[in-house]
Amino acid sequence: MRRAIALAAALVLLPSSAAFAADLDELLDESREAAYTAEQVITCSTPDGARNAVIELSQASGELHIGAPVAPEVEVASGFGGWTLLREGAVVSSANVQGAGEEPEPRYTVDEGTETEYLGRDATLYRMTGDGVVRAELIFDVEAGALLRVVTFNADGSVFCERRFVTFDPGIPPATDTGAAPSVESAEGGVESSLPETLGNFERLDVYEDEEGFIFAYYSDGFFSFAVFQTPAIVAAGSGSLVTVGGQPYIRSSGAGDVTYAWEASSGGMALVGDLPPDMHEEVLSGLPAPEDPGLFRRLWRNLFGGANSPRPL
Amino acid sequence: MSHAGELISAYLDGELARHEIDQLQAHLATCGKCAAEMQEMQSVRSAVRSLPLLELPPGLIPEADAEVVPLRRNKGFLVGAAAAAVALIIAIAAIVTPSTPSVTLEELNSRYGARASLDPAFGPAKVVVPDLGDILE
Repeated sequence: MRRAIALAAALVLLPSSAAFAADLDELLDESREAAYTAEQVITCSTPDGARNAVIELSQASGELHIGAPVAPEVEVASGFGGWTLLREGAVVSSANVQGAGEEPEPRYTVDEGTETEYLGRDATLYRMTGDGVVRAELIFDVEAGALLRVVTFNADGSVFCERRFVTFDPGIPPATDTGAAPSVESAEGGVESSLPETLGNFERLDVYEDEEGFIFAYYSDGFFSFAVFQTPAIVAAGSGSLVTVGGQPYIRSSGAGDVTYAWEASSGGMALVGDLPPDMHEEVLSGLPAPEDPGLFRRLWRNLFGGANSPRPL
Repeated sequence: MSHAGELISAYLDGELARHEIDQLQAHLATCGKCAAEMQEMQSVRSAVRSLPLLELPPGLIPEADAEVVPLRRNKGFLVGAAAAAVALIIAIAAIVTPSTPSVTLEELNSRYGARASLDPAFGPAKVVVPDLGDILE
């Protein structure tokens, strides 16, 4: 009897985080395996203003096809380490990475979930917490397992982004013709890098290098993630704006659900692309090589001969 | 040989034959007056050669103006100045002309999107939405 009581006490006192973190992975795994067609509305409140998008999703066998009603000729196919952007069947941009590294230590926990209804379907609402702060609310379809709605929060509790399905049709979507097989660039993992192994609460999971000399590392905290790029060239930040973060100048571009920072460091062009909430930006950027004026000689060299890394010693 | 004044002058001008030089050197070895004269003439010539070359003011000698030939060192200076000017123009052009950006946000997104598709949270929570504005331009 005494042993039974001790076992019960041990079960009660077990850290709940491990069990709940496993549940989050299971929930996300199940969602990834679901087959459906849906329309998703994304609304984000970014430091650069509101960013919204309406996209069409179809998922089957772990592969996701993304389209936009406003531009039916544009499509993205993604899954299993590949990402291909097509326009009218022609490849605009593509990439392929091989193999995933380690998974990060569980940092977030989810509660037991509460029954709810979404789009007229039985669903379960989970709250995801990290460091005592609710960082996301996730609604999963009970029957299909698909993630129907996710709201992410800033540290102060304000909403960062909401991604919600406004239509949902479970079942295997019709086959999508992505045109000719794209010739994707392949990036190998396991590359040595001077990029930090941790940035804030984020762990560096992989480092890749591709044929164009791109070195990029992928960081995750178990839910949010970003990639840091070291390039041999300047990053064209497009419509980004000059901002100051942690006293340093960056070019920032915010999209519906993701943010890009670009800058030039002594090591070359750098960029960060990810879905992390704004309150995490400064801590992450402060751990990376700081923006630095390349100087007259390097600028001259680069403009004459190309590349950002030569000549090294200045 | 009583006094070798003319021979000394010719010697300093390099106009003596071998046997004349031998005779002069034999004389200088025994004649202190001629040796002193030769030393004095050498000093004067060295002093004159060390004076800077000056250009005549224009109009001082009209005939000379008509036959002015640029000094060799001025020619070299002009070539150097021209080369420096060309290098400066190239440098300014290289700095002012924006270099072709070789990395676009779309390329970054594609790599991030590819890796994110291996993420446990891949799916509706982690859709990388391309910037249609850039693509449709």
